[in-house]
Amino acid sequence: MPEPYQRRLIDELGTQLMSDMIALAQKLNALAAHDDVLEDGARVVSQSGVPAPLTAFLAVVDETVLERRLDFAAGDVVVSVIAAGRRLRGLIAVSPAAGEHIDLFGKTLSRQEPAMLDAAFALLTDIFTGAARLTVRSLPAEPFGSGGERGISASGLAEIWQIDISETPLPPMSRFLRVNETAFSAVLHVSAGDILATYGDIAGLQSIWDTQVDAFLRAQESLPNHQDGPKLICLEGALDDGSTAALALAGDDVALMVYDPAKLGALHASWRSIFQ
Amino acid sequence: MVVNELDTLLAASVGCQAIAFADLSTRMILVTDTRSKLPRETLDALCVQAATVLGAHGKIGLGANPSRLALLAEKTSVHLFLRASDEPDDVLCCVCAPDVNVDKLVDEATKCLNRISGG
Repeated sequence: MPEPYQRRLIDELGTQLMSDMIALAQKLNALAAHDDVLEDGARVVSQSGVPAPLTAFLAVVDETVLERRLDFAAGDVVVSVIAAGRRLRGLIAVSPAAGEHIDLFGKTLSRQEPAMLDAAFALLTDIFTGAARLTVRSLPAEPFGSGGERGISASGLAEIWQIDISETPLPPMSRFLRVNETAFSAVLHVSAGDILATYGDIAGLQSIWDTQVDAFLRAQESLPNHQDGPKLICLEGALDDGSTAALALAGDDVALMVYDPAKLGALHASWRSIFQ
Repeated sequence: MVVNELDTLLAASVGCQAIAFADLSTRMILVTDTRSKLPRETLDALCVQAATVLGAHGKIGLGANPSRLALLAEKTSVHLFLRASDEPDDVLCCVCAPDVNVDKLVDEATKCLNRISGG
């Protein structure tokens, strides 16, 4: 029979192992659930601020197990970092060069160097703030720091930088509505027959929902070229006052929007990046 | 000639696969571009789709007014329907790949329709 202290040790190890297994299972589920959008081989991890670029940055670090160089691009600026074991080891470079942050590059991040962590936070915040899109490209690792320095875990950085990386990703339709909220003056979002959210003056949209949507969808389904799956239908000048209306469908979700016609192309691009 | 206009629009619109000019009053495709050669059943379906989304014969699919423009985006295609401003039954139908540049297509298609409609 094990001694009491041995039993406690076994219990603690078992609890730790279980906790690691749960974390691993959550990561695998998250990876399996990724509906990745690729742009020239780079993965789009944040679009129109959803999720916040720094949150997306840490989430990518958090899912990086094997050592990799990660190139994050925000507009024309690329930040290259080394990550491994769900930890950020350090920053390699920023392109175009950011001279005033030169002391950061090539050095392993450490909790013992709070000034370096503050500088890294300032640099990333400066680059990512207002980024319409953040992409990441995963590349083979390159020599970095000394072998014994592991950097800081993504969850540790989230704690230090006060960022919530456990934020549950929005469902696709909610993400579409959130990302494009500046294009909409009114929104009626229905899920499985229940009104989930409304915004703006929805009188015209409510009338469409109450009296037209069912018949319209039946008419669409009866067409020989009907396709199942998500749809975005934009109608210019359809409303009483001549304004434009759009209908987005995905699974049990139906969203009716009054949108700015000048944003038609942007709306379609956003819909495509989320639903295709 | 209308067909030349459709061919020019098709050539200028990357991702556009077929263009047809329809009369919603008869629900008929009057002319298509010369390259795409869509089967008659597909053209008929396209015309019916144009009528249901834009509204025709006093029937409006969604909203209070017949629409000037309708965009129908699905996983594998984008359909753009444009109604002529002075001949409401004249409609340009564009069948496109899902990654077509919508803003550019709308711009080019509007100019094309204005030329056809005014000619």
